[in-house]
Amino acid sequence: MADDVSRLSDELARDPASLVFVPLGEALRRQGQLDLAQRVAVRGLERHPHLAEGHDLLARIAADRGELQRAFDEWDMVLRLADGHVGALRGMGFICFQQGRLIEAEQYLSAAAAAAPADEGIGQALANVRAQMSPTSEVEQVPAADVSHDARFLFADVLSDTDQTALLLDRDGLVLGGAYLDLDGNDVAQEVGAELSGVTDAARRTTRHLALGDWSSIVFETEVAVVAMAPSPDDGLLVLATSRATPLGLVRRLLDRCGERAARWLGERAA
Amino acid sequence: MSSQFTPMLDGLTRQRGVRAALVASEQDGIVVDSSIQVGQSGDRVAALAASLYRKARLSARAAHLGAVSFMQLEAPNGRVCAVGAGPLVLIVVAHATANVGLIRVEMLRAATELPALAGGGAA
Repeated sequence: MADDVSRLSDELARDPASLVFVPLGEALRRQGQLDLAQRVAVRGLERHPHLAEGHDLLARIAADRGELQRAFDEWDMVLRLADGHVGALRGMGFICFQQGRLIEAEQYLSAAAAAAPADEGIGQALANVRAQMSPTSEVEQVPAADVSHDARFLFADVLSDTDQTALLLDRDGLVLGGAYLDLDGNDVAQEVGAELSGVTDAARRTTRHLALGDWSSIVFETEVAVVAMAPSPDDGLLVLATSRATPLGLVRRLLDRCGERAARWLGERAA
Repeated sequence: MSSQFTPMLDGLTRQRGVRAALVASEQDGIVVDSSIQVGQSGDRVAALAASLYRKARLSARAAHLGAVSFMQLEAPNGRVCAVGAGPLVLIVVAHATANVGLIRVEMLRAATELPALAGGGAA
């Protein structure tokens, strides 16, 4: 892939008006070089402002950054330039799902599936959305209250922005509530939970060994997100992911609020 | 006996509030080198902290969040910080009152040196 970047960069240097900025930006995005990818995309769009693929690239970069509203707006622009653009429909469907707007998510993903019937990722994302809707599939009759009773939307009204997501895991790393969707619309909560299995025990043993007291949180930064974790009742684990742009103080407050919600919800279930 | 990591680790432990600094293998948590105050078991700290860091990295990979740069475990009486660099993890144990922002910057800077240091031999 580094060779691709080098070759495409050379090509763009030779011809700055070339459309090669799209694959170059995409290659950089896949490498996680989001700042550089965005600069390439923005400069390319300065020369080709009506190029749908350029706006699609910018949208994907924004989505990687967790800037979902900006990504949505860019994909909206793509659809204005290229009606029925599959990538835009899929991306907007994913964002609507992330925001709990299931009806719109279903509409966007249905349109994407119709345009690309062989795309298994879109089909899976659509199936996920429909699985969360009413069993009667009366899409227009699904009230918001139904969503609030779905464990996957446990933290929906606690999280203040579209780029935030939260999970509640049990002591074995199994998902109790919340959801984690990747950029293809797949719910990866179980995969994340499996990898985090045992964190609570390891954290407890660490702080006990060092006589630090009971652990209160684990926070780690990634290229595109800040992930915060806290212990929850019954040796469970609360996981909150936000974009890197979210101030750490707000992350902590959100983690506290999610913790309160989780404790109350678990208490109600136990009652 | 000092190793190629000793100056870096000593530099970290000179930070106010830092109790220990270690370099360990992320895979198995085995200590490569450490600068630890008397009374602490570096082996166990390294094993546990490396395990936590590895879980964080794998969960980030599962969620397509990219590489993990900095991790900290917080408790009332202190914190454990970790930064990865290839197969190694740099671990710092600090008091609760330590300046974590400064420690974070120093650890991220030190982590950039780790791959080159790992290629060197004992001093």
